[in-house]
Amino acid sequence: MESVLVAQALNALFAVAVLALIALGLAVVFGLLGVLNLAHGELVMVGAYCAYVAQTHGWPFVAALPLAIAVCGVLGLVVERWLVRPLYHRPFDTLVVTWGLSLLLRKCAEALFGLGYQSINEPLGGTLDVLGATYPRYRLLLIAISIVVLGALLLWYGRSRTGTRIQAMVDNPDLARALGIRVGRFAAATFVAGTCLAGLAGVLIAPLVPVQPFMGLDHVLMSFFVLVVGGLGSTAGLLTGSAVIGGVNSVVSAVSDSTGGYFCVLVLAILFLWLRPSGIHARR
Amino acid sequence: MSSPAPRLQFDGVTGGYGDSDVVRAMSGQVMAGEVLCVIGRNGVGKSTLLKLLFGLLPCRSGRIAFEGQALERVEASQRRRLGLSYCPQERSVFDGLSVRDNLTLMRADRRLDAFEPLFERFPILKRRLGQHAGTLSGGEKKLLSFVRGLSEAQPLLLLDEPSEGVQWENIEQIAAVIAQGKAGGRSFVVVEQNLAFAESIADRYLVVEQGRVVREGRRGDVTREQLLAHLHV
Amino acid sequence: MRAASVGTWRAAGVAVVALLLLPLVAGEFWAYQMSLLYLYAIAALGVGLCWGRAGFLPLGQGLFFGLSAYLSGLALIAFDQSAWLLLLLPLAALASGALALLIGTLVFRRRGESGPYFSMITLALALLAGQMANNWESVTGGFNGLKGIPGLPGLDSFIAAYYVAAVALVLACAAVVWLYRAPLGVLWAALAHNERRVVLFGFDTNRLKAVAFGVSGLLAGLGGALYAPQQGLVTPQLCGFVLSADLVIWAAVGGRGRLLGPVLGALLIGALTSALRDSFRFWEITIAIVFIVIVLAYPQGLIGVFAPLERRWRQGRRALAALAAPPRRQPGGALRLQLEDVELQVGEVRILDKLSLAIERAGVFCVIGPNGAGKTSTFNLLTGELRAQAGRVRFDGLAIERRPTHQIVALGVGRKLQIPSVFAHLSIADNLGVALWSGRTRASDLLRPRLRRWRTPLLAALQERYPFLAEAQRTAAELAHGERQILELALALLGEPRLLLLDEPCAGLSPQETAQVIDVIRWASQRSAATIVVIEHDMSLVRNLAEHVFVLHNGRLLAQGSVAEIQANPAVKAIYVGSEK
Repeated sequence: MESVLVAQALNALFAVAVLALIALGLAVVFGLLGVLNLAHGELVMVGAYCAYVAQTHGWPFVAALPLAIAVCGVLGLVVERWLVRPLYHRPFDTLVVTWGLSLLLRKCAEALFGLGYQSINEPLGGTLDVLGATYPRYRLLLIAISIVVLGALLLWYGRSRTGTRIQAMVDNPDLARALGIRVGRFAAATFVAGTCLAGLAGVLIAPLVPVQPFMGLDHVLMSFFVLVVGGLGSTAGLLTGSAVIGGVNSVVSAVSDSTGGYFCVLVLAILFLWLRPSGIHARR
Repeated sequence: MSSPAPRLQFDGVTGGYGDSDVVRAMSGQVMAGEVLCVIGRNGVGKSTLLKLLFGLLPCRSGRIAFEGQALERVEASQRRRLGLSYCPQERSVFDGLSVRDNLTLMRADRRLDAFEPLFERFPILKRRLGQHAGTLSGGEKKLLSFVRGLSEAQPLLLLDEPSEGVQWENIEQIAAVIAQGKAGGRSFVVVEQNLAFAESIADRYLVVEQGRVVREGRRGDVTREQLLAHLHV
Repeated sequence: MRAASVGTWRAAGVAVVALLLLPLVAGEFWAYQMSLLYLYAIAALGVGLCWGRAGFLPLGQGLFFGLSAYLSGLALIAFDQSAWLLLLLPLAALASGALALLIGTLVFRRRGESGPYFSMITLALALLAGQMANNWESVTGGFNGLKGIPGLPGLDSFIAAYYVAAVALVLACAAVVWLYRAPLGVLWAALAHNERRVVLFGFDTNRLKAVAFGVSGLLAGLGGALYAPQQGLVTPQLCGFVLSADLVIWAAVGGRGRLLGPVLGALLIGALTSALRDSFRFWEITIAIVFIVIVLAYPQGLIGVFAPLERRWRQGRRALAALAAPPRRQPGGALRLQLEDVELQVGEVRILDKLSLAIERAGVFCVIGPNGAGKTSTFNLLTGELRAQAGRVRFDGLAIERRPTHQIVALGVGRKLQIPSVFAHLSIADNLGVALWSGRTRASDLLRPRLRRWRTPLLAALQERYPFLAEAQRTAAELAHGERQILELALALLGEPRLLLLDEPCAGLSPQETAQVIDVIRWASQRSAATIVVIEHDMSLVRNLAEHVFVLHNGRLLAQGSVAEIQANPAVKAIYVGSEK
């Protein structure tokens, strides 16, 4: 009995960790820059396809990571310069433009790889014994990576000078400009960081999900709901939102099915929209 | 003997928000080591003038020159590099950052040695170093913004109501620091509604009403009654 | 208001004739293709209504299309050839409309920022619906869908199905034309760009947006209900993402701002897609790029190409006779205003600190005070846009603290905002119309295009003073800053409010314009028995107009009295001039 509970707990932890990792890119872009990047899910898809490309070329799995950073980085630069720059802090307009971008990326993936599902081999097979339950090693690795990445980013953002300047830019862009912070450049760099994080998340989850052009839709919606519930602009918000959404989804899905989990997440999102639209950790 | 060139000179500056002209053809100048006080009631365009001078708003017409160099084409972060510094009236600090971060944000290091003399005058800031600036009172935020602006090396400071909400003892300290700065050759353009404070620091006055300069002159040429008439109801 | 020009009627006539003749000219194959596209065009009309008119983007219209298609298909299978279908098929469409209205009411709860949330929620709902349709095999037939749906009773051929679809499209277009010409359509256009202003005229914008979404759901439902008998098969793909995405693309590329844009988009792009999808490998990528370009640079879409033609047609329009507007539904007379110990805090900042103020009679009152004293916040409190943490606000003895803005405004409050806020994208006539409808209309009146002909004696007097107000077709965006201030003032006055709140009516005006505004305010005060409260920094206005002055400082009432009393008050002098130590 206990091992079942441990396995369920690990499942929930895994769901939350993966969700936080995926939502991180959108948290950076939407939370800091006010850009509702609907193509976020497609960038995750791009990362996943990078893993597929690495596999078909016979490269080791880790080679997909720099590939995803390169591709998503270039995409981020181009998108920021041409699509997003005129539209900062206008979530509705960025939503429309990035929706078009998501369409474009999906169609390109379709043209390049076809509509079929691809599967990526787990780079770390086998299981590990955790407190009496046997759990796949790759999933445990992902949980660890998620914790490390989020922790490192939190530390860096809070302590480093660049992190402080980004916080300043988000807090009071006019004053930041008056102080000589090159707001334009920082914003572009932040956006590219967000797209790269999305791509990295895509590489990491690729062995666990069917890789196909439409895989991104669920991720962008879930990431958005994580931020709605948790609150924009803080790591506390990202973590709380992931915990709530991931927790609800995995518990309800275990009890009924994934449609039920989805439905409950939606209801939760609408409730937050009514009662606390800026989320649990609302930005001051 | 020819008079030295003004550090800042502006002529016929007109501009505002969108297509409304809040500032209409204002002219003035500041020499090195001088304070120019811009006096007037709310809503007459004083803050807008500072934003136009610093480049946060575009000028519809007029000329601005800093140490002889024309500024109309130069954008705000560049103007700072040239030697102008700006402390806004509202949202003058980064609420989400600590007091310490607010002060050291643009410095190469995080050290506070350069601030020690200022901390002696304004000990309240030293006490609140670790706090978020958003938890400070309005006057304390103004002090923080002032100290931050002072600590930079820019030769010209544009200050928008530095005394607003500040306790009288600290206002006296601000005046003393400005006097010190003047002695060192720095120039200030100070927008103020507080007449007593303005009188303690001003070398020149620019009196503004409804977007226009209605009176200007050096310290001795403008009487208190004349200033009062434009400030009071 | 002008009647539709002869040119427009002619063009409509030509289009209808072309629609009717198409099967005879182009043959059965094209009739079949187009009849499907007509149904999609009906749904695209709905997207254009929400996005192009009312300013929010539904990303999941497939939900309604698919829902009605399934309902219609089930009804047709169960009641094949029965008379029940006459009731059930329209119900299938109405069900979508009702569901959309419900969703809209649930989601549009707070003013403003719900735009992106709304889009995401509709997207999520469409995906959810697609999943449910896929899984619920017993009802929907699962992945393979609902098969073997019979056609409409008595209509067996492709040609007959074509005419059904064509008639439905024409009717749908006519209905939307009517809605756009009605006050409801003008209000949608107004709230798309300036929702706060519409609320300040007493309209419940959340309900208006929900109605727009409901209509769009009904349109999509109509398309879906006719889809089932036409195609004979309903699959879960209809509910899901793909159709929803296509509808948005067609609306954008066709031109979401004009009525027929989405129709053009659906017919043209839809036809091209079915022709080219298999032969031209990069067709869908091309369309995605075209979409992005249009959204960024050419929002008027393909139908914008016809804009010059349209301009020539419009010149032949004759003005329709004016109608006298009915009186305001609320009685007139001054409004007694009381604030008792009001405390207001936003975040960390205390804005109002036990503010107590009372105005018991008609007349002009001025509120002055330094920046940050809480003047505009007091106005926001009075119109219900800010909620006090403590204290009471009473209008005629009635406590209004918990009421929503549009209800408070309906009691007879008019407001002019600090930054001139008119409906820049609408004509001057439509701007004035919104102000006239404020306080004089019931919900059902909003569907009557005749209301656009309303005039009042006050409007005539204002147009005499300011001739530019009579330039009905000019867009408000073309006005200079000073004229926009006057327009907003006129809008506030036209509602004939009992309490008129003017926030810096002379900001940014030249001395001559300021004198004009002082004149108008004095004239309005004499004409009506209203209570006028003005926030101003311009002392010439205060000295000229104020019968009584309130001085606010640090969120409290520092002093009140006549202008002379205020001038003599040393405390007031101190806050303006700085204390003497």
